[in-house]
Amino acid sequence: MQSARHSTPMNPATTLPTILAIAWLLPLAAFALVWVGYSLPQMAGGRASYGAQRTAGWLATGAIGTSCVLAIVALIIWLTQTAPHEVATVHETAAAHQAASEHMASPPTSYSGIYYTLAQFGKLRISIGYYIDALTIAMFALVTLISTCVHIYSMGYMHEELEDMVDREIATPDGNYYHRPGRYHRFYQYLSLFSFSMLGLLLAGNLAMVFMFWELVGICSYFLIGFYFERPSASYAANKAFIVNRVGDFGMLIGLMALWSCLGTLDFGDSNTPGMFSQLRSEAHQYELDAAAMGSESADTNYLLLFVAGVGLFCGCVGKSAQFPLHTWLPDAMEGPTPVSALVHSATMVAAGVYLVGRCYPIFVPEALLVIAIVGAITLTLAATIAITAYDIKRVLAYSTISQLGYMMLALGLGGWAAGLFHLITHAFFKSLLFLCSGSVIHAVHTNDMRQMGGLRHKMPWTAYTMLIGCLAIIGAGIPALGIGLSGYFSKDAIIEQAWSFARVNESSGYQLLMWLPLGGAFITACYMFRLWFMTFTGMPANTERYDHAHESPRSMVGVLVLLAVFAVGVGWHVPGSKLSVTSLLERARPAGTLETTTGTWLPNLTVPDEHLSHEPQIAIPAGWSAFAMAMGGLLLAAIIYVWRWLRAEEIQQSFSPIHRLFVNAWWFDQLYDWMFVRPALWKSKFFAGIDRYVIDPFVNLLARGTAFLARALDLVVDRKAVDGSINGLARLTWDFGNSLHRLQTGNLRQYVVFIVVGLLGLFAAVSLCWKYALAG
Amino acid sequence: MPILASLLTEPIGVAHYMVVGAVLFVCGVVCMATKRNALGILMGIELVLNGANVNLVALGSPYLRGESATLMLDGQLMAMFVIVLAAAEAAVALAIALNFYNNFGSIDVDRANQLKG
Amino acid sequence: MNLDSPAVYLSLLTFLPAVAAVAIACFAPKDNAELIKKATLAVTVVTFVLSIGMLFGWPGIEFKAGQAEMQHLFSVDWIPTFRIDYLMGIDGISLPLVVLTTFITMLGMGASWPIDKHVKAYCVLLLLLETGMIGVFLALDFFLFYVFWEVMLLPMYFLIGIWGGPRREYAAIKFFLFTLFGSVLMLVAILMLYFSSDLRPLGADKLAELKVPAERIEQILDADTPQHTFNILALQQLGQSTEQFKTELWGWTYERWAFLLLFIGFIIKVPSVPLHTWLPDAHVEAPTPISMILAGVLLKMGGYGIIRICYPICPEAGYDLAWLVCSLGVVSMVYGAFAALAQNDFKRLVAYSSVSHMGYVVLGLGVWSAMSPTYNADYWKMGMNGAMFQMIAHGISSAGMFFMVGVLYERVHHRQIDQFGGIFARMPVYSGLAVGIFFAGLGLPGLCGFIGEFFVVLSTWKYCIPLAVVAAAVVILTAAYILWTLQRVYLGTTYLGPHEEALTPITPREMWIAAPLLALAILFGVYPRAILDYMEPSVSLTADRLASKTSDFDGEQQPEAKVAQALSPQVETTDIPKL
Repeated sequence: MQSARHSTPMNPATTLPTILAIAWLLPLAAFALVWVGYSLPQMAGGRASYGAQRTAGWLATGAIGTSCVLAIVALIIWLTQTAPHEVATVHETAAAHQAASEHMASPPTSYSGIYYTLAQFGKLRISIGYYIDALTIAMFALVTLISTCVHIYSMGYMHEELEDMVDREIATPDGNYYHRPGRYHRFYQYLSLFSFSMLGLLLAGNLAMVFMFWELVGICSYFLIGFYFERPSASYAANKAFIVNRVGDFGMLIGLMALWSCLGTLDFGDSNTPGMFSQLRSEAHQYELDAAAMGSESADTNYLLLFVAGVGLFCGCVGKSAQFPLHTWLPDAMEGPTPVSALVHSATMVAAGVYLVGRCYPIFVPEALLVIAIVGAITLTLAATIAITAYDIKRVLAYSTISQLGYMMLALGLGGWAAGLFHLITHAFFKSLLFLCSGSVIHAVHTNDMRQMGGLRHKMPWTAYTMLIGCLAIIGAGIPALGIGLSGYFSKDAIIEQAWSFARVNESSGYQLLMWLPLGGAFITACYMFRLWFMTFTGMPANTERYDHAHESPRSMVGVLVLLAVFAVGVGWHVPGSKLSVTSLLERARPAGTLETTTGTWLPNLTVPDEHLSHEPQIAIPAGWSAFAMAMGGLLLAAIIYVWRWLRAEEIQQSFSPIHRLFVNAWWFDQLYDWMFVRPALWKSKFFAGIDRYVIDPFVNLLARGTAFLARALDLVVDRKAVDGSINGLARLTWDFGNSLHRLQTGNLRQYVVFIVVGLLGLFAAVSLCWKYALAG
Repeated sequence: MPILASLLTEPIGVAHYMVVGAVLFVCGVVCMATKRNALGILMGIELVLNGANVNLVALGSPYLRGESATLMLDGQLMAMFVIVLAAAEAAVALAIALNFYNNFGSIDVDRANQLKG
Repeated sequence: MNLDSPAVYLSLLTFLPAVAAVAIACFAPKDNAELIKKATLAVTVVTFVLSIGMLFGWPGIEFKAGQAEMQHLFSVDWIPTFRIDYLMGIDGISLPLVVLTTFITMLGMGASWPIDKHVKAYCVLLLLLETGMIGVFLALDFFLFYVFWEVMLLPMYFLIGIWGGPRREYAAIKFFLFTLFGSVLMLVAILMLYFSSDLRPLGADKLAELKVPAERIEQILDADTPQHTFNILALQQLGQSTEQFKTELWGWTYERWAFLLLFIGFIIKVPSVPLHTWLPDAHVEAPTPISMILAGVLLKMGGYGIIRICYPICPEAGYDLAWLVCSLGVVSMVYGAFAALAQNDFKRLVAYSSVSHMGYVVLGLGVWSAMSPTYNADYWKMGMNGAMFQMIAHGISSAGMFFMVGVLYERVHHRQIDQFGGIFARMPVYSGLAVGIFFAGLGLPGLCGFIGEFFVVLSTWKYCIPLAVVAAAVVILTAAYILWTLQRVYLGTTYLGPHEEALTPITPREMWIAAPLLALAILFGVYPRAILDYMEPSVSLTADRLASKTSDFDGEQQPEAKVAQALSPQVETTDIPKL
C-alpha cells in the first residue's frame, strides 16, 4: 500500500499513519463521549452539572492535547527518519538553483495508503485514506497546537457557560435578559468535532475524503457560529456561512467530477493504482503537467477540462477561505464565540482553502493559477478597504483575515507555493493570537465596539503587548537590512518578492497590478491593524464605566496569549544551529514539477516564474524594502490619525464620503447578493411551488373533474340517450304506429267492408303478380 | 272481352257458375258497402255467402268437374256449413241489430261507430 | 414447517403479516386497543427479525453476501393455464429493500401509538400493507408482482383516507388514482411483453435455472406455438439476448413502448416531476406513521421497478431513452428543492425534499455512461449503486424527518414553519436528534444521505456534463431549505405558535424510534459497505450485463451481420450471456 521509499528501523511508512490516525480520532472520541454521555441525563430531564461540564472541557482538551503531542512526535519522526526532498534545499543563488533543477525530477517523500474502502465499482474506488508528506505533518502540528491553545483559552473565556447564562444580546418581552442553561460541554463537543474534521481534512488521502471533511468542518463552523442560536443574528450568520460555502462546494464538486471522470481516481498518492498527481505529472514527462492524461481526444478539450477542474476546486477554496466573491460570510461568522473565531475562522478552517490549493497544486494549469492570483489580489484589497472603516474589533480582524487569505491565494497563484503556505502557517499563529487578544478585551469590557474602548493597556498590559506583537507580526515588521523580523515579515516578504518576480517577467500592465495591489494592501494592513491597536489600548478611555470594570484575563487565557506571541515572533526563524525552518520543511513537500517556470497555453505571454528566482537579490532587496516602506507608512498614518491626532478621522470620512460609505457598507455585497441571488431563488421557489399549486394540481383536478364530467356525459349520452333511448324509442314507435293505425278503426262498418275488399284485391294482385312463379311451381 | 265471349259460346261449366258466384259476391259486397241499413247489410252478407256457396257447390260438383277432380261432396259439405253458419250469423246479427235499434232507435250503421279505435 | 427451505421462509416472511392481520381481525377484542397495538408491533418485530435473519441465518436460508445472482429462487405453479407461477427470490437489490421495509414498518407501528381511532382496522391494514410491500420486492413473476403492487395500494388508500388529516379523502383518492393510472400502464406493458415473449429460444439449461419444472421444459421446447411467460428473469433474458420485443408498433419497437409505459408507471411512484403532485398532498394528510412508510418504502418501489424491470427487460429502449430518465431525475431534483424552499407547511417541505432526493435515484439509475469508445461501465455502476444506496438512505432519513415533524405535530397540532421557533431550548434531546436526521437529509458527509448523492453526482459527468453541473448545483438549494427550516423551527428563543405548554421533552417511545434511525444514518454514512457489500454485486452485475450490449445499440454492428440476421430470422440461442 505504502509508497515508502525509505526503510528504517522505525518505519515511518507504518508508524506515521498510525500515530496521525490516533491523533485524528482522539477528538472524535471526545466528541462522541460528550455527546452520548451528556445527552442521556438530559433525556431523563436532568442537566449536566457544573462539575460534569468542567469534566467535558478537560476531556476535550486532553484529547486535543494528546493529539498535539502525537503530532509533534510525528513531526520529529518525519524530521529524523526521512531524507530531505531534493528540492528542499533553499537555494541561495540562481546558479545553484539551475544546477539543482537538473536533477529535480523526483516527487516529494510521501506516504499514502488506505484505512478502509468506502466503495468500489470496477476500477473506481472511494476510500478513507491518508496522504502524508511534510505539508500534512506541518499542518497537523499547527492545527493541533492552535486547537489546544484555544481549548485551554476557552476554559477561561467560556466559564460563564458553566452555570445558568444570561444572554445580554437578547431582551425578553418583559424587559429582562434571556436566561438559559449553560452549554459549556456543548461548546467543547463542537470544538472536538471540529478538530477531528479539520485533522481529517489534512490527513485525507484523496479528494473525495477532502470533500467529506470539507463539509464536516463546514457544519462544525455552522454549529460554532450558531452557538448562541437564540440570537437571530447568530443563526442567520450560521446559515449564511454554510450556504455560501455550499456555493463554493458546488464549484468544487464540478472540479471533482471532472477529475474523477477523466482520471478515474481522486487519490493524491499512488496506492496500487497511479494517483492524480502521478497521472498528471508523470515521471516519463519530467513531472510537467500533461493534460493528455485527461483522456479525451482533443488536446484543447483536455486542457479545458484541466482548467475547469482547477478552477472548480478553487471555487471550493473560494468559499471556504472567504475569497471574493464569496467572502461575505466570514465577517458575519464573528457572531460565534471569540475562541471559535480564533480557531475556526482565522487560523485553521478558513485556511483550509489555501491548504487545498497548495495540496492540489500539481493540478492547476497556469491559466487557473492566474484566476487564483486575480481572485486573491481582488480579495486582499477589497477586504483591507473594508477593514479600515469597521468599528467592531472582531470584524476588523475578520476582514483582515480575508485580506491575508487573499495574500496567500495571490502567492499561490503567482507561483509562490512555499510563500503562500508559509504565510498560512505564520498567519495562523499571529491571527489566532490577535483574535484571542481581542477575545480577552471583549471578555473584559463586554463589547465589540472599538469606540467604547481606549486606554486599556493600563488595565490589561499582557493582552495589550501580546496583541502589539500580533499587530507587528501581521504587518510584517522586520528590518530588511539585517534580515530579522517577526514571522510575518518573512512570509509577507516572500509573497511580495514573488509578486515582484512575477511582474518582472510579465510585462503587461494588468499583470503589474498583481504586484502593486499587495504592496498597497501592505500599507492598508498596517494602517487598520494599528488603528485597531491604538483605538483599543491607547488614548483616553472612551467609556469610563466599561474601562473601570475592565480587568486582565485569567491566567489560562494570558498564558495562551504569551505562548502564541512567542510563536508569532519566532515561527519564521531557523531553528538555531541548523538550516531547519518552516520554509525548509515546506520545501520538502513541494510537488514535483511545480518549481519550474511555466507559461500558459491559451495565454502564451503568461509566465509563472520559478519561485526560487524571487530570492535573487535584484528582486528580494527592492521588494523587501518597498514592503517595509509600505508597512511603516501605514503604521505612521494610523499613528498620525489615532495617536498624534494631526488628522481627524471624521474629517477624512467626510471629505471621502462616497468612498467611505462604500467601505462601511462592505461594498454593498450583501445587498447585491440578496438582490441578485437570494430573492430570485425565493421567487423561483415560489414559482415552482406555484406551478404545483396553480398548474399541475389544477390540471390534475381538471382532469379529474373532466373525467367525472365525461362519466356523467357518458351516462347521459350513451346510457340515457342511446341505450335507454333506443328501447324507449322502439316502444314509442310501436305506440305511435298503433296510434296512427287507430284512425283506420273508424267504427264505420261500410268502410270496413271497403277495406276488406280493397285488401283482398290488393292481396290478390300481389299474389298474382309476385307469387306467380311460386304458384306455378 | 274474349274470356266472357268464350263463356257464352261454351256449354255450362264451372266457369259459368263461378261467374254467377262472383256476380252474387260482388253484389253482396256492394250491398254491404253501400247500405246504411243494418238489414240491408245483412242481406249483403247473405249474398256474399251465397256467392261463395255457388262457387263451393260448383267446384265440388262431380258432374261439372268429373269424379277425379273433386273430393267427393266436399264442396257441398262446405256449402252446408256456410248455410248453417249464415243462419247462425243471421240470428246473431239480427239480435245485434235489434239491440242496436233498442238503444239508438235506428238501425243506421253509420251511427254505430262506438267501436272506433 | 421446514424453515430451511427458501420457499417456506420467503413465503413466511411475506405472508406472516397478512396472516396475523387476519388473526387480529377475527380474534382480537375490539375494545382493547393497547393489546392490538402490542400484538401488531410484535408481528412487525418478528417480521423484521425474519428479514434480517437472512443476513445471519442458518444454512439454507442465509443470504450470501457478494453473490450477484438471484438467491433462494423458487417457483410453484399458480395459474398453469397462463404459466403464472408463484415465483420468488432475493438478491442484493431486493434484500436491503426488504429489510428496510420491515424495519420502517416496525418503527412505523411504534409511531402509531397515538392513533386511537378504529385501532383494530388500522393495525390490520398496516399489516396487509406490509405483506404487499414485501411481496413486491420478492416477487419475480410479473403477474405476482402486479398483484402485490395492487395489494399494497388498497390498504394505503384506506390508511390515508380514514386516519388522515382534514383533506384526507382528496389526498387518498389522488394517491390512489395516480398510482392506479401508473399500474394500468404497467399492466398494458406486462401484457405486451407477455404476448410477444417466447420461451423456446432460451433452451433447456436456462429454463432449468429459472426453476421451470423438468416436464414443463420438454413441453415448452417441443411446442409449435410461442410459449409466453410472466417470469421476470426469463423476460430479462429474452429482452437482453433476443429480438422478441423488437416488433414495431407506430414507429417504435414494442420494447420502447413497454419501457415507456413501465417507466411512467414507476416514476409516478418515485415520484418524479411532473407526476409528483400526489405526494405532497398524501404526505400532508397521512398520519405520521403512514407518512414514514410512504416515504420510507413506497417511493422505493418505483426505483426498484426501474432497476429490476425497466432496464433489464428493455435494455435498448433504456439506452435510447436514458436522456429522458436522467433529465427527469435532474428536473425533479431542482424542482423539488425549489418547491421545498417555498413551503410553509413543515410536512409539505419534507415531502418536496423527498421529490428532490428521489430525483437522485432516477438520475443515478439512468446515467448509462458506458458509451463509445471504451464502453466502460464503471461509472454507471457507481451511479446505479449510488441510486440504490440513496434509496436506502432516503428511506431512513425521510422516515426520520416525517417522524420528527410528527412528534411536533402531536404536541402542538400545527405544522406552520413560521409559527415555530425556540424548540431547541424546550426539547433539547429531540432537537438534537432532529437536527441529526435533517442533516442526513441534507447530505452531510458521515451521514447516510451523502454517500448516495455524492456517488450519483460524481457519476453523472461521464454521461452528460450539463446535467452533472445542474445536479451539483442542487447541493446549494438543499442546504438552503433545510438550514432555513431548522433556523425557523428549532433556533431562536420564542415559540410563535399555539399550545406552547404542550412542548414537553421527547418520550422514551419516541426516542426508541428516532435514535435507531439516526444511528443507522451515521452507520451507513461512515461505513456504507454495510449496505454495499450486499448490494453492489447484484447492482453491478445488472449494469455490466446491460452495458455489454451498448455497442450493439450504438449501431456498431457490421452491415454484413445485419444482412445475415435478416436472412435468418430465427433467433440464435447460442449468444445468450451466462446467467
